[in-house]
Order: sequence, then structure tokens, then C-alpha cells
Amino acid sequence: MSVLREMLENLLSRPITILYPKEKVPIPESFRGRVAITDDKCIGCSKCSLVCPAQVITMIDGPREVEFKGKSFARKKRPQVKLYKCIRCGICERHCPTGAIYLKHELSSSGTDREVVIT
Amino acid sequence: MPEVVVSIGPQHPALKEPVNFKIVADGEKIVRLELDLSYNHRGIEKAAEQRNFIRVLPLLERVCGICSHSHATVFSKGIEEIMGLEIPPRAQYIRTIIAELERMHSHLLWLGVAAHVIGFNTLFMWTWRDREAVQDTLEEMSGNRVHYGMNEIGGVRRDLTPAQVEAALERLPALEERIKKYVEMVNSEETMLIRFRDVGKMSREEALKYGAVGPTARASGVDYDVRRDDPYLAYAEVPWNVITDTHGDVYGRTRVRVGELWESTQIVRYCLENLPAGPIRVDAPKNAPKGEILSRYEAPRGELAHFIRTNGTDKVERVDIRTPTLANWTSVAVCLVNQNIADIPVIVAAIDPCLSCTSRMTVVNRVDKEGR
Repeated sequence: MSVLREMLENLLSRPITILYPKEKVPIPESFRGRVAITDDKCIGCSKCSLVCPAQVITMIDGPREVEFKGKSFARKKRPQVKLYKCIRCGICERHCPTGAIYLKHELSSSGTDREVVIT
Repeated sequence: MPEVVVSIGPQHPALKEPVNFKIVADGEKIVRLELDLSYNHRGIEKAAEQRNFIRVLPLLERVCGICSHSHATVFSKGIEEIMGLEIPPRAQYIRTIIAELERMHSHLLWLGVAAHVIGFNTLFMWTWRDREAVQDTLEEMSGNRVHYGMNEIGGVRRDLTPAQVEAALERLPALEERIKKYVEMVNSEETMLIRFRDVGKMSREEALKYGAVGPTARASGVDYDVRRDDPYLAYAEVPWNVITDTHGDVYGRTRVRVGELWESTQIVRYCLENLPAGPIRVDAPKNAPKGEILSRYEAPRGELAHFIRTNGTDKVERVDIRTPTLANWTSVAVCLVNQNIADIPVIVAAIDPCLSCTSRMTVVNRVDKEGR
């Protein structure tokens, strides 16, 4: 009997399925989306590339001036993330000393441009 | 009538994962079962030996998609014990919350799969819909729906905000209501009773003899749960009951799992309401001292054990993973004897098998020219 009652209740209720992509699911604050890097904050310490479990972060040439603790430094390297191999574990974000590398609240990360899959 | 061998798998439309069953049948009755496992050896243990403690946890999480938190916690627990680290109470509680939410989503998933196997797809849809509420809570807390990545050696990576705690507590009453309905349904719904009762029976003695673990053993009356008998995390402080049953059949296993669903909601509620304040982690040293440990954990499917050996470096020398499904396979062979061929799917599904996590070893039988 309980099943019959349940069936009737469901017959009168709206489906809970979301019509993606017309409707989007709400993304929580803590969501681990694609990795992003703020170049101004990055001090090029390469800690992220050392801790990355999927080994998708490599240090490439990127000479720039960085301000850290009130002083200006010239840095040669910056991280590059191969997003197509990223497992979104967030360990890089956890170990970054300046908060330069972080996970965005972005659900979809597919596309045909190179910029979409490599940061 | 002569005995017939029915070979199913490793690639078969009815199987979701690779395993080979050789079922020896006499007419419709099963005489015995021969199992061939390890078609999906992934070399995780070897890969784990080459990674430091920061990088090894996401790898071990990926041993299983359903009990990912279990593998990460049991490993962290073992390493922390070797290092002699005391984990802050808040971290213990957060780990417990995630562990119990994981148990809830695993059991709801199992109930759906069991219903699907007996052709009761309506229940399958309902349980999987309700599982979404658990998944949403997990996503809110950890940022991921499957591999939560909450653990690190020394504590947890993310703290729970008051808003997250409140949102989880708001979701709980509706879930509790649904679980009460499932308890009622399992005990009264004729569709399930006909297919579950007296199917795949296993006595208490057989369960002990063949080393069954988790809900499979508890359904046969084995009163054993690592959470109570060797308490870890916050289980010693939380009031909860071990669910056992005396039926020993698929019906009993369903009752145990549905009962555990209810207990999990109560554990989560208690932990959320009594979440201690304080730090969420302690600093862990880079290297672990030389040592050996067998770390145990009650995963949703049963007792999970990691044997860990460290050698004073930042990597493990050996990690050996014994998943609950491996322990339960022998009990399937016992349960299937004298059963109908049509009941194979439900008896196999009753242990909640996870084959990809089970494949730990590949035995290569090499025969040389002289036939040795």
C-alpha cells in the first residue's frame, strides 16, 4: 500500500530533473571548478607543481615583476596547468603560500580553444 | 541430469564490471560457483609507493568511487598513528560526518541497484532521487560529489562553515522521513519480500567461517562493527547502535542496510549539532618514522583494511589494500548453492560488490617448455 500512496504522490508532483543547459544547477560556494592563476600574486615558488598528484602543473617561462610582502621581485617562472588532466583535488590551492592559484566556481570547462584547456 | 557449466563474463551485457563466473548448475539449481577475479588490475599499490604523503591521498581515494573517503581516511589514520599525531576533535567530527554521509549515499545507491535487479525500477528511481540530497550536502561541504578530498595527514583540508552545517541540518528531516518510508517498504512491500526472502541464505557459522564482513555478516547475526569494536574518529562519543539481523538472506541484508541508513542520519545529526570548535588540522612532519600498521575502518560495504609499512622517508614502502568485497566473495559462493539461476543477480548484488576496488593482484601462471 505504501508504494501505491507513494506513486500517487509522485504522479501529482513535478519532476526533479533539471533541463540542462536551459536550466543550470546552483553551484555551491565551496565548489571545486577549474583552476585559475592570478599572475600578480604568483611568486613562482613551484610548490603547486611539486604537490600536484596528477602532475599537470609545469613551470614555464614567464618573466615578470611581483610584489610580495611590500617588496618587488623579478620572477622568471610561472605555472601552467593542463586542465584536461586536472583532477580538481584542490591541493595546489591548499599549499599555495600567496593564494595565487585557486579553484573557480565554474562548472563547465569544455571548449575548442586552447585557452579553455590550458591555463 | 548432467551438470552444466554456465560461464558469464568477464565481458557480458548483464555485468557492469569485469568478473568471470563459472556456474555449475544441475537443471535450474546451482551446484557450485567458480570465480575468476582480477580482470581490472590497476597497479594502484605500486603507484602509491612512488608518491609522497601529500600526493598519495588523491590516488588512494580513487581506489573506489563510492567509498573514496573510506580509503583516504583509513590511510591517513594509519600514517597519523605511525607519526604519533593527535588529530583535533573538530577534524575527527568532520571526518565522521563525511564518512556517514558517504555510507548513506552508498546504501541508498545499493537499495536502488537491488531494486533494479529485481525489476522494481520505481524504487530505484526514488532512492537515487533521495541520494541526490546526500550528494548535494557532500558537494556543499567538500566541493566535490564523488572524490571529496577532505583528508590530509594531520586533519582535514576544509572546515565546515555555520551556513553549511545549517544547510545540512535543514536537509536531514526530509531524508529521515524518506528513510522511515524505506524501512516500512522493505518490511511490507510484497514485490521485495517475494524476491528477497529465503534467497541466498547464509548461517552465522558460515558467515564466520568464510570471513564475511559488513552488512553481509551482520545480516547473518554476526554482531561485529569496527566502528564500535575498535573505535576510531568520533564514534566512541556518538550514541548509535549496531544493526544486526538473524534472517541471513537478502531480505536480512536489506534490513541491515536500511537500518544503518537510519543510524547514519542520527550520527550525522549528532555530529553536526555537537561539532566542537577548534583547529581542523595539526602540522604533520614530512617524513614518517619506520613502522608497520594495519589500519581498519568500517566502509559502507564492510571492514576495510590497509596494511602500511613506512621506512623513514616521505613515501610508503608498501601499502596493501584489503577491500570488503574481496572478503565477501567467498560468502557469495556459499549463498548461491542450491539457489535458482534466476536469483544469481540479486544474490551477487546483495553483497554490494565493487570489482574495480577488489582487483589488487594478478597471478600469472607461466608454463615453461617442460610443462612446469
